[in-house]
Amino acid sequence: MNEELDSQLSAMFDDELPPAECELLARRLSRDENLKARWGRYAIVGAVIRAERGVRLNAPLAGRVNAVLLAEPALAAPTAPRDRSSARLRWWQPVAGAGLAAGVAAVSILWLRSQAPSAAAPLVTQVTPPTPVTALMPAASSGQGESYVVPLPKPAAVIVPSTELANYVVAHSMFSPPVARRNLLSAFMTSEPAAAGTEDTQADVKSTAR
Amino acid sequence: MSADASDLSLVRRVQRGDKGAFDALVLKYQHKLVKLVMRYVRNPAEAEDIAQEAFIKAYRALPQFRGDSAFYTWLYRIAINTAKNAVVSRDRSPVEYDLDRNNNDESYDMQGRMKDSETPEGLVLTDEIRSTVNAAIDALPEDLRTAIVLRELEGLSYEEIAAAMDCPVGTVRSRIFRAREAIDRRLREVFEGGLGRAEELG
Repeated sequence: MNEELDSQLSAMFDDELPPAECELLARRLSRDENLKARWGRYAIVGAVIRAERGVRLNAPLAGRVNAVLLAEPALAAPTAPRDRSSARLRWWQPVAGAGLAAGVAAVSILWLRSQAPSAAAPLVTQVTPPTPVTALMPAASSGQGESYVVPLPKPAAVIVPSTELANYVVAHSMFSPPVARRNLLSAFMTSEPAAAGTEDTQADVKSTAR
Repeated sequence: MSADASDLSLVRRVQRGDKGAFDALVLKYQHKLVKLVMRYVRNPAEAEDIAQEAFIKAYRALPQFRGDSAFYTWLYRIAINTAKNAVVSRDRSPVEYDLDRNNNDESYDMQGRMKDSETPEGLVLTDEIRSTVNAAIDALPEDLRTAIVLRELEGLSYEEIAAAMDCPVGTVRSRIFRAREAIDRRLREVFEGGLGRAEELG
């Protein structure tokens, strides 16, 4: 028998053969009965050196196991173990897939944006029309001294009772002392901003127009 | 060098449907496994039966073996569990009283060995194998004997043996191989020549 082959077999028995050589020799070992017998004798030598008392060195255990396994179906090919490097590759696959999907999504968004200006233009033109407040602002700040910014009137404000109240307050103000009259008027303006604001705005506009 | 690469290459072959590779694994570990099981049962024949069952269980479970641990570690676990289960089921079975049994361990061992239908020739052959191997080891040159004993008895790696013997790893590999070849040459004659060859070779 080839001495180099036997030397490899001895090293393989001790787990001292490089994995690539192990693969080749394992294939040969599983088929070559002479090589397998030598392999079995290496195991016997080890058992004797370790002085494994009580163990039958010529026990037909391997033959008995082999006889039982003859009736067993051979193990299927897909169950072969995956080594760690391929497991590592499998771990990266979903990550790489997610990254690829994110890249495609980003390119799609950029492309859609580049196509968007014609569709977005009408949106820019849909600016809300100027409110009466903005129209009033230049008039209020046009240098007429005590003018101030007037709050926007609320369309749903209840004007009629407030007007009545204002008329009532004005009608009776001549009977009040000046300080109390001023306080009453300021309190009235604070509590009824909408009504007062509307009327004051009108008065202010009138005075500005004058 | 990756540890357990040799077992793993055989395991992969078995997992791909090569039963011959499993035969090699059984040949390699059968003595160690029987020795392990004999911590739980004293009868060698019973220990062999349990070891056989453990090997068959291992074969059937091999598709689930992923190689996270060493094959022999995994196999030993199966053997220990099988042995424990065998002891439990034996303890539950009706007790057999042996009136002739005495407290002498050696005598009990002999009874156990003779109960298992082993022939006296078989027992003699085991003793002959043992004496042949021991004689062959004694006849080895010092450097070969030291290398093989450090490997088999102490379980040292080639690198550790190289450090201990102050020589290259390649030399260790060569010495161990030559020691095995010298022992195997005489062992082969025992197996091929049958009983009595060891005494002739003596």
